[in-house]
Amino acid sequence: MTTTRRWQIPLVAVLTAYALGIWLLTAQLPIRDGEVDWTGSLFPGGWMAWSFPAALFFLTIFLLLALMAVWEYARPGGHPRVGMLGFETTRGDRLFVSLLGSAFIHLAWLGLVGPGLWWALALSVVYAVGVFRYV
Amino acid sequence: MNKTWNNRAWFMVLPVLVLVAFSAVIPLMTVVNYSVQDTFGNNVFFWAGTEWYEDVLASERFWNAMGRNLAFSAIILAIEIPLGIFIALNMPRSGWGVPVCLVLMALPLLIPWNVVGTIWQVFGRVDIGLLGHTMNAIGLDYNYVNDPFDAWITVIVMDVWHWTSLVVLLCYAGLVSIPDAYYQAAKIDGASRWAVFRYIQLPKMNRVLLIAILLRFMDSFMIYTEPFVVTGGGPGNTTTFLSIDLVKIAIGQFDLGPAAAMSIIYFLIILALSWVFYTVMTNVGAERER
Repeated sequence: MTTTRRWQIPLVAVLTAYALGIWLLTAQLPIRDGEVDWTGSLFPGGWMAWSFPAALFFLTIFLLLALMAVWEYARPGGHPRVGMLGFETTRGDRLFVSLLGSAFIHLAWLGLVGPGLWWALALSVVYAVGVFRYV
Repeated sequence: MNKTWNNRAWFMVLPVLVLVAFSAVIPLMTVVNYSVQDTFGNNVFFWAGTEWYEDVLASERFWNAMGRNLAFSAIILAIEIPLGIFIALNMPRSGWGVPVCLVLMALPLLIPWNVVGTIWQVFGRVDIGLLGHTMNAIGLDYNYVNDPFDAWITVIVMDVWHWTSLVVLLCYAGLVSIPDAYYQAAKIDGASRWAVFRYIQLPKMNRVLLIAILLRFMDSFMIYTEPFVVTGGGPGNTTTFLSIDLVKIAIGQFDLGPAAAMSIIYFLIILALSWVFYTVMTNVGAERER
C-alpha cells in the first residue's frame, strides 16, 4: 500500500471533533458564585458522576485512538519492528505500553512525591516518545 | 502484493464494541469518575482530585492485601501448573478411560464458586466436617477458623481442588494434538521419558500452558467468593485478598471514592502483569518456531 491516501482530511475531522467535544464540555460547566466551577459535576444527579477533568481525560484517550486510526489509514500495516525489548511491536503495542507506563508513572509520582502531577505528565510524554522511538 | 486492504471490514466488529462498551468501558469510566470524587449518597459528588489515590498508595492495609494476593497467586500457580501437567501426562489416550477421566476432571469446574466455598467451609469444620474432624481425631491441631496457617492451607487446597482440572484439560488437549510421528522418531532415537517430555510434549503444550497460566493467574488474583465464604477474610485479615478488601471498603463502609481508586490501581496491576505474561510467553513460542 502506498502513501497516496488523503490522511489530512480524517486528521482535520478528528481534531475538529476533539475541539467540538471540549467546547461542549466547557458549555456544560457549572457556575458557582459567579465563577466557572472547573471541577463541579457536569450533570448533577447523574449516576456516572462526570466531571470536566475526567471527561477531558477520556476525550483525550479517544483522541489518541482516533489519531492512531488516522495514522493507520495513512500508513497501513501497523509498522511492526523489533525494538530494544527484543520482540516485535506494532504502533498499537507501543501506544498500549506508553499509556500503561504513563499510568504507573503518575501513580509512582503520587506515592513517592505527592500531588501536583504536571511533572509526572511531562515525564510520561518523554517516556511515550521514547517508547515510540526505541521500542 | 495481491492482498486487498479494506478497512471497512472493521465495521464488522461494531456489535462487539457496543457489547464491550456496556459491559466494561462504561463501568470502567464510572469507576474512574468515582475515584476522583467523594459522595455521601443520592448521586451528589464532590471533587476530591487525587486524594483517594494518595490514601490508597500510602495505606498499609492495601499493600498487605496486595502481598497476600500475590503470594496466593504464586502458590497456586506453583502447585496447579505442574500438577495439571502431571495428571494430563498420565491420563489415558484411548479406550473407555478417556471419557471417564474427562468427566471426572470437568466435575469441579461445573460447581459454582459459592457452592465450592460452602462445601469446603463445612468440610473443614472441626465439629461436623469430615476433614476438620478427622484431622483432629488423628492428633493434628487443625482449625481454619482460629489458625491463619490452617486458613491459608484450606483456601489453597480448595483452589487446587477446584481449578487444577482446568489446567489438566488444557494440557490434555495440547498432548492429544501431538502427531504420533514425533513419538516414533523419539523412540528410534532412543529418547528417554524425560527427553520426550522436555523436547516434544512441553514445547507442544506451550500455547495451552500460556492460556492456563494467564487464566489461573488472573482468576486467582481477583479471587473473591471462595475465601469469602470459607474464612470471610479471617482469622483477622490473614486471608483478606484485594477483592475482599475492596468489597469491604465499597459496600461495607460505602467509601466509593477510595474503593474506586483502589479498583483502578488493582486493574492496572492486573493489566500490566497479564501483558508481561502474554508477551513473554508468546515470544518464547515465536522464537522456538523460527
